[in-house]
Amino acid sequence: MSAPLDVEALKEEFLFKVFDEKTFSFSGQALADYAIACGETASRYTDPADADFQAPPTIATSLQPGQRMPKGFPKVAGLGMDAGKAVSPKAPIRPDVELLGKSHMQDIYTKTGRSGRMVFFVIRMEVFDPSGTEVASADTSVVIREKPSV
Amino acid sequence: MTIVKLADVEFGVELPVFEPDTSLANVQRFGDASGWNSPRFTDHEHARKEGFPGALVPGIMSQGFLAAMIHRWAPGSVIENVDTIFRAPVIVDVAHRISGVVTDIDEDTGLVEIDLTLVNAAEETRVLGTASVRLPV
Repeated sequence: MSAPLDVEALKEEFLFKVFDEKTFSFSGQALADYAIACGETASRYTDPADADFQAPPTIATSLQPGQRMPKGFPKVAGLGMDAGKAVSPKAPIRPDVELLGKSHMQDIYTKTGRSGRMVFFVIRMEVFDPSGTEVASADTSVVIREKPSV
Repeated sequence: MTIVKLADVEFGVELPVFEPDTSLANVQRFGDASGWNSPRFTDHEHARKEGFPGALVPGIMSQGFLAAMIHRWAPGSVIENVDTIFRAPVIVDVAHRISGVVTDIDEDTGLVEIDLTLVNAAEETRVLGTASVRLPV
């Protein structure tokens, strides 16, 4: 048995505060394999020798932060599920470039249905190249169906 | 018809259906490239022990399928956003197909909105997606 989350208090404490920074890099072959496995056919995604070779546009959603939630974030009683992912590519990601992913809590919201309340957490990772240019952002939504407090 | 520019796109047009490669070998290739190579994705027996019907195609791979489908339809398009909802597992070695339809065209910005749906052979929806794609005006 646990008390329902105080969503407004969580938003006040955790929204928009970077809680994780992690670096990433992909070889040209890894980028090409990723793209080919997804079904891409254009050489700018599949051939590392192409002059405009770059990562497929959804690759930022594959980047996982070092820690999934902010330190001090309460453990939520309930069933957690990956509810979805959104990605916004902003500039080409090239091979062998060190990327910096900064993660923060973007949103916390609830939906209530007949079976109870579901709490959604949206974690956003903003990805930067070595010049500080944001090359992509990726949102991961996790939904937890709260256990009834009876 | 291959789409080159915005004028080639009509509201409500359906994209050519795409049947992604969900074979174990291809998911393994994706896992090796992305680092998403948990046995949940690459080992049917392991996934069954976790309560799934079989190994799972990673959600991020399904999202990659959606982007590839758009590029096959409009090779020069630039994807600005893909929002994906995972409704149910996509099982490895099971045939799936993706359909897509143009739901909005912005003549000023060159942006096209596309709704995408990934279903299994029983026509059960597994993944839903919405994409925003830029085409030359």
